[in-house]
Amino acid sequence: MNMFYMLAGIAWRNVVAHRVKSAIVGTLLFFGTFLVVTGKSLVDSIEHAMAESITSSLAGDLQIYDKNAKDPLQLFSFGGGGEDIGEIPDFPKLRDALAAVPEVRAVVPMGSVNTVVFGSTELDQALTKLRIATRASPADAPNQESQGLLEQVQAIAAQLAEDQKVVLPIAADKVKAQQDLDALVHVNTDAFHQEFASNTESTLDWLDRTIAPLASDGKLMYLRVLGTEMGSFTQDFSRFHIVDGENIPEGKRGFLISKYAYERFVKNKVARELDDMKQKRDEDGLRFESDKALSDQAGRCSRQYARILFMLSPTDARAVLPLLQKELGSEEKDLGALIKDFLLVNDDNFEARYAFFYKEIATRIRLYDVAVGDTLTLRAYTRTGYMRSVNVKIWGTFEFTGLESSQLAGVYNLSDLVTFRQLYGKMSDSQLAELDDIRKSASIKEVTRANAEDELFGAAAEPLVGESAEAKTFDEFAGVDMTAASRSAAELDERVYSKADMENGVVLNAAVVLKDGASATDAKAHIAAAAETAGVPVTVLDWQTASGIVGQLLLVIKGVLVIAILVIFLVALFIINNSMMMATMERTAEIGTMRAIGAQRGQVLALFLIETLLLAVVASGLGAGFSMGLLAWLGEVGIKAPSSQAMFLFGGPRLFPAWSWLNVAFGMGSVSLISLASTFYPALMAARVQPVVAMNPKE
Amino acid sequence: MSAIVALKNVVKEYPLGATTVRALKRVDLEIDRGEFTVIAGPSGSGKSTLLNLIGCIDVATSGEVLVGGQNTSSLNDNQLTQLRLRKLGFIFQSFNLIAVLDVFQNIEFPLLLQGGLTAGERQTRVMDVVEKVGLKTQLRQRPSELSGGQRQRVAIARALVTRPEIVLADEPTANLDSATGGSIITLMRDLNRADKTTFIFSTHDHRVMEQADRVVTILDGVVNAQGLSAAADDSAPTGGSVHA
Repeated sequence: MNMFYMLAGIAWRNVVAHRVKSAIVGTLLFFGTFLVVTGKSLVDSIEHAMAESITSSLAGDLQIYDKNAKDPLQLFSFGGGGEDIGEIPDFPKLRDALAAVPEVRAVVPMGSVNTVVFGSTELDQALTKLRIATRASPADAPNQESQGLLEQVQAIAAQLAEDQKVVLPIAADKVKAQQDLDALVHVNTDAFHQEFASNTESTLDWLDRTIAPLASDGKLMYLRVLGTEMGSFTQDFSRFHIVDGENIPEGKRGFLISKYAYERFVKNKVARELDDMKQKRDEDGLRFESDKALSDQAGRCSRQYARILFMLSPTDARAVLPLLQKELGSEEKDLGALIKDFLLVNDDNFEARYAFFYKEIATRIRLYDVAVGDTLTLRAYTRTGYMRSVNVKIWGTFEFTGLESSQLAGVYNLSDLVTFRQLYGKMSDSQLAELDDIRKSASIKEVTRANAEDELFGAAAEPLVGESAEAKTFDEFAGVDMTAASRSAAELDERVYSKADMENGVVLNAAVVLKDGASATDAKAHIAAAAETAGVPVTVLDWQTASGIVGQLLLVIKGVLVIAILVIFLVALFIINNSMMMATMERTAEIGTMRAIGAQRGQVLALFLIETLLLAVVASGLGAGFSMGLLAWLGEVGIKAPSSQAMFLFGGPRLFPAWSWLNVAFGMGSVSLISLASTFYPALMAARVQPVVAMNPKE
Repeated sequence: MSAIVALKNVVKEYPLGATTVRALKRVDLEIDRGEFTVIAGPSGSGKSTLLNLIGCIDVATSGEVLVGGQNTSSLNDNQLTQLRLRKLGFIFQSFNLIAVLDVFQNIEFPLLLQGGLTAGERQTRVMDVVEKVGLKTQLRQRPSELSGGQRQRVAIARALVTRPEIVLADEPTANLDSATGGSIITLMRDLNRADKTTFIFSTHDHRVMEQADRVVTILDGVVNAQGLSAAADDSAPTGGSVHA
């Protein structure tokens, strides 16, 4: 022990004596440890946060889907969703089987489908209101409301006519373009007024047919719909909460739109631009004067003035005009020009105009294309290749706590399972009954693939080469009672479904929520075995794999960290090795002396290794300490998510990293091991120094 | 008087490029216990080689080297190291102190390598030799803070602290001025007389030769002459023999 202390003493004094070398190597080890501890702690924190955001929002701890699925399940993918993950053949049976698995707390059925929603234009909305208003009063005695709405339609037509004049010279089909312009101009003529007064309905039809298509295309919204059993979903996903409206009542059909999508795709474009600019100013500290992208956005926003102008009824337009004149200190009489000017915001007026917009303008326009309580028409391509439309009530908007601004988390909208099945391609009882009636009336005979040749070409026909009798087809009617009585769509909307109704049908995948502290690895094996035994074989994925690209992102981050650590280790290995080789050469006489006066080779070897180890322990200790301090501080203040994607990784708007003794030990241990490894060869060389070199006089 | 060092028909050759240089040519030499012996000769004569073989830091190409009655030719590296640690003390021309250790630690170092002593025992042993070499006030100083003479005194103390049977000194005065060199030689001679420790020097310093019991001269690897110096007339043990 005394010997060790003496060697450690010499080693430490050597560390101090060779300051430059020790500083270089020490700095390297300091940063190496800092990188390992900080990097690993951050990755662990991200993994933990991600696990929390993914498992408690959508995925559960595990995801299960049909074992024979064509594609792997990916819950989160940028622009994906077209995967064919098959169907779980008998979900109720599977759920019963999994209830017996000790680790499982809940199994939540799911299925997702991509849908399209066509949004209406301002002209469409004005025409619809006009039609309703004119029906409420005789055409020869128009009420004030219909008169105002007609003026609104005329104002839109006038604006469109101005736009059309710009388009005309460059139009490919000049004849058609001229006809369109003539039609738009016609809306603001006396002749049109007379036509409208004398024959309102046909004039409205003309407006619908001829003028409405000339307005800019209606908005297309792409919404990904996740059908699930809302009761289980609400209970088992703690981050889910309703923002506006209410949850879909138990057993009812309905739709919940994600608050993210609602704010970004459904809200009036000008309001959205203003919100976005406010967020950039408040959260990112950007300013119009210094940020060109932001000032360009203000310009873009201003050019969208028609989206406000067209939405204001004449009454509201008359009310807004003086308010805007006062706000802008302008004498301008043209409301369009005033709105355009108003929207051209800068650093001095932004806050005031933002407040004015929401106080005076937003209250007079339809701020969202669809509102909570409206019925939305979702369209999707079914598995049989047909476009299917489903009308469904929007019960409310929802968010996942901490992931409010996350694009990935906001990509899913929720519906009940019956709606999902309709969109996916499962027919309702009434539709099936109707189809059955058509079959009977048309004398359609069902021809199965197996006997198609016999039925069509006669029994003697040979099977076609390469055709398999077992070829699979999609059976829309599987598991559905074909004798159910037909019901009207309204009845179906109002119908309250039992839990069994909801469960008995197509389920594509299911989230498995585990009991606290249960091992995911054990659960995976037990679930797979239980499903196999029940005759419903499934693939079981952990949340990382199920989350698709997001899970892979974590792998990429880990990979980058590992590469960075390997690089710094390699550099450390090289530099430490070099400096110790130089030290060995410089200290040959000293080593020779020690050998001459009785030091064994092993003691010389130990001296060099202890020297490096001491330096490594001190430098890596400092590196780890610095890292712990930084992580503790970041754990208090948090790291702001730089983007909406990062928000998902961070489990919220900020990541609060934490350090652990395990990571500190790993950092210091790995750095010390690398140091020892890189010193071993120079130390071995030192141990081979012959004692006779001590006799060589110094120059 | 028994021989503490005996060389029998020793040959030492070094490879030098394609040729071989024969540094020692069939040397026979015996040195008795307690002798104060000088190996003298010009540079390149082979005196350092002879000292290295006696000091067990080099091995003979052929012949036998016996140190303390032990044939060193049959010993491995570990055993030779143990022999150096237990029986030999070294004083180098360039002092060869460990730069990062202070005076006390430099002197204590061989005791730690030996092991088996308590801290208190080591301190007593160190203080004992420190007193002999007159460095009591410099115990916590580093070698770089000492003069050449002081450094050589530390080296002498380090060589003596393990109470070796033989102290080997390679040109111990070469890097010292004449006054300091003289005092160092006197010190070593006094220690030799007081403790009966065998001292073997390689030198061409006449003052050292004057103090020696016996001077062994070597030229071109051959031991030419041996004789008793003036200093040996009254006190030195006799009986050493040299065979060319």
